[in-house]
Amino acid sequence: MTHTQHRWGMAIDLDRCTGCAACVVACHAENNLPVSTPELAAEGRTAHWIRIDRYYQGEFPDVKVKYMPVLCQQCDEAPCEPVCPVYATYHNPEGLNVQVYNRCVGTFYCANNCPYTVRYFNWFAPQWPEPLPLQHNPDVAIRPGGVMEKCTFCIQRIKRSKEDAAQEGRPLADGEVRPACVQSCPAEAMVFGDLNDPESKVSRLAGNGRATKLLEELGTKPKVFYLHKAT
Amino acid sequence: MDRRDFFKIVSTASAGALAGCGNHTGKVIPLLVPEHEIVPGEEQWHPAACTECAAGCGTLVRVMEGIRTIERGGETVRQRVAAIKKIEGNPLDPISGGRLCARGQASVQSLYHPDRLRGPMRRSGERGQARFAAVSWEEALGQAADEIARQCGADPLGIVFVAGPEPGTRSLAIQRFTAALGAPAPVVCSIADHAVERRAADMVFGWKGLPVYDLARAHCTLSVGADFLGGWASPVYYARQFGAFRQGRSNVRGRLIHAESRLSLTAAAADRWLPLSPGSEVQFLAAIGHLLLDARLARNTDALPKQVAAAFQSADPGALLASCGLAEKRVRELVRELGESEAPLVLAGASLVHTNSLDAVAASHYINLMLGNVGEPGGVLAPASAAAPGRRPHDSLPDGLPGQQPAPNRAAAEGLAGAQVVLIDSANPVYTMPRSAGVRDALARAKLVIALGSFTDDSAAWADLLLPDHHPLESAMAVVPAVSRQLAAVVSTPFVEPLYDTRAVESTLADLARRIGVEYSPVTPRDIVEPLLAQPSAAGGATYDDVARQGGIWLDAPPAEPRLAGVALELASARFEGDPAQYPFLFQPYLSLEFHDGRGANLPWLQELPDPASSSIWGLPVEIDPQTAAKLRVANGDMVRVESPHGSLEAPAYVHPGAVPGVASMAIGDGHEHYSRYASGRGANPLAILAPVWEKSTGALALGATRVRLARAGGSRGWIQFAAPDREERPFGRR
Repeated sequence: MTHTQHRWGMAIDLDRCTGCAACVVACHAENNLPVSTPELAAEGRTAHWIRIDRYYQGEFPDVKVKYMPVLCQQCDEAPCEPVCPVYATYHNPEGLNVQVYNRCVGTFYCANNCPYTVRYFNWFAPQWPEPLPLQHNPDVAIRPGGVMEKCTFCIQRIKRSKEDAAQEGRPLADGEVRPACVQSCPAEAMVFGDLNDPESKVSRLAGNGRATKLLEELGTKPKVFYLHKAT
Repeated sequence: MDRRDFFKIVSTASAGALAGCGNHTGKVIPLLVPEHEIVPGEEQWHPAACTECAAGCGTLVRVMEGIRTIERGGETVRQRVAAIKKIEGNPLDPISGGRLCARGQASVQSLYHPDRLRGPMRRSGERGQARFAAVSWEEALGQAADEIARQCGADPLGIVFVAGPEPGTRSLAIQRFTAALGAPAPVVCSIADHAVERRAADMVFGWKGLPVYDLARAHCTLSVGADFLGGWASPVYYARQFGAFRQGRSNVRGRLIHAESRLSLTAAAADRWLPLSPGSEVQFLAAIGHLLLDARLARNTDALPKQVAAAFQSADPGALLASCGLAEKRVRELVRELGESEAPLVLAGASLVHTNSLDAVAASHYINLMLGNVGEPGGVLAPASAAAPGRRPHDSLPDGLPGQQPAPNRAAAEGLAGAQVVLIDSANPVYTMPRSAGVRDALARAKLVIALGSFTDDSAAWADLLLPDHHPLESAMAVVPAVSRQLAAVVSTPFVEPLYDTRAVESTLADLARRIGVEYSPVTPRDIVEPLLAQPSAAGGATYDDVARQGGIWLDAPPAEPRLAGVALELASARFEGDPAQYPFLFQPYLSLEFHDGRGANLPWLQELPDPASSSIWGLPVEIDPQTAAKLRVANGDMVRVESPHGSLEAPAYVHPGAVPGVASMAIGDGHEHYSRYASGRGANPLAILAPVWEKSTGALALGATRVRLARAGGSRGWIQFAAPDREERPFGRR
């Protein structure tokens, strides 16, 4: 697939990541994620567009823990896309796997097909007791019940930055677009940028010897690069 | 003003915020956003201060239009208001550097919390039942003023003001209020005030305030007992430092060795984790000191006071390390690595306070001294409060700021015991103090209890009057960061209208003082900022408005030489309460990433943030090691009874692959009796069952000094794990 001007990608340096979950709350705040209740959570109905996976390795006292932020990998060969019967999930010209909420009829095929389990279904219309909705970000739609949702790489922030740059008659600068997770990360473990620009920070990190892709062997061609912990 | 304009203006305001405020910019951020200035779809960014912990991060707040539904004259109407959409870090602030932790970002939910107090209230049930009826400010303040005045006349020493540890306008206002009444100084009641670390820096280096560890420039770091990436002194600052330490330099990758009795976030991020026996930090550090001297890797031995050097030399590393539960050979290798490093650093703290924690942190300072890194790049640096020349900015305030001094929990317990009138602000002593400390009895005995917070929490439930504060995002304030190389104050200016009939504590206190008839000068952020503007390193001509516009002031402070007092090194073992035969396990309640000292538990975003250790949401487990779990015949989620000599609790078990055998840990945050719909009655409070044991010199509550016994309680309720089980851990094939 060829992409137009931009091809958005992310690099996550696990040598910097501390697992502090600042990105998770940043995403909740930015993207109007539904807040669960203990009852919904007990049924596995808690939505996190980005989550921190943790893995324990070894036996005490030589135990290690690995924390790893996992979000939609924005695959170039996305398994979620071809299975949608109503074209609610599609590949946009800048390489994003986009979800069109008002097309989605909730077949769940996309979530079944996602090897990264990063798609979340709204089993019910989300509820926010007053006045919590005052916090809602007007740039992001509130999803109704029966609709699948997932990380968008903060497409609203991409749009806003592009509009700002266009208004000032200049190209987008590297690092100017920062999804909420990237913006918040205290250890600066996450870097976002244009993979079409070989000089961009994300392109350079993607070429780093420590860079790998999650479940790359499935042929999904993810655009999120993980830089392994150095030793 | 949009985000871009904010930076344009501040970049002209100060070419380098660290050098202080520069030229006047001519354009001021609108201080309060009036309704007609809210344009749908347009954003404004305002600087503010985060008050979720004492770190004092500067923030940027996004304000846009919001629609609020209110009742007016019996009808439901929709009202356009300026609403806060998101909180990020302020890039001009050298602490947050534009970043913010999970709790800081979630604090917007406390502003728009459905259970926030909407106006003053008076108790209508028994104390502790949390039944209140609305009352007018006039009535509430009148009653409060009358009773305080009566107590002032009888015995002002019976007035106890319980406050939080964060220094700034709030602490100054409280201090002025108690001074005006002739009451004792406010007692700081917190388990996150780092009293031990402050005392150790003062004792060894003569520095007031928390030392700053220059992690980003260190090459090899040994951290001991400080979960600096989790719930320690300044998590955003140290996480930023950690990122740079690891991958911020082209030729050096920082190596982190972490010794702690828990597999914390910091232990997880480390290259090597040394699982210490609880309370053995001082023995471990004494062995490290001895091995460094022994291997001639201490490059600055002459700087060490003689009796300290002698104490290190006479230490027996084999026996000491055995008491820590560590193999000597492995530690020797790591000591060599540390000693041979170009920029070695020892970063010690007391995330889990023990009776001997002060000695441990003091020993770490002596090791830094022998490694020659004190005041050097990549070493331990003096805090700004230690380094200012001549008059320190806070010296102009009476007695400095209370949060700057060690704040013993023991004093809070003792002060409350004889209290007649109790005022509580930014503290929750009923929750954070052990039941055995007698806080409830003291509150039940007092003639009058006034709570000033925004929520009916465990302590406010015991109040007679609730005089609710504005939310920090609705308030004018200045906050002094806990860990800072710069002389700093983060300044917040209100830019959204208060949602409810609340009043800033500063104005409530001023009003009370006026009614009581004592002399009191109200506190504003200028009281904190103006002494800083008078500093020689502040740019000439800078005004308070310049500071407010960029969200704070950060001034370079000259380096402070340590003034060594040569305090002897003590190697006392930690004391644990409880008979080891009856109570064979050690118990570690710890400050969690998501709830800190418990205050974050009322926010739904934090409740559903998976706990880093167990991945549990909407409830916290007790973490036990796999062998103990097998002996108790419990698997993940099975209820476990944790019993100390001072009480017991039940919590779901989490079989933690990294738990130190014989040690049960539990994150603090659950077990609020009252704290909004999201926290009330959920889970158990690990602090409640602690023994009233204090760090021996500072009086800080020894979180890790209680022995417990564990038993299977039967059943499994309320255990929700977000992630799939990390391992198959059901030894008995049940469920």
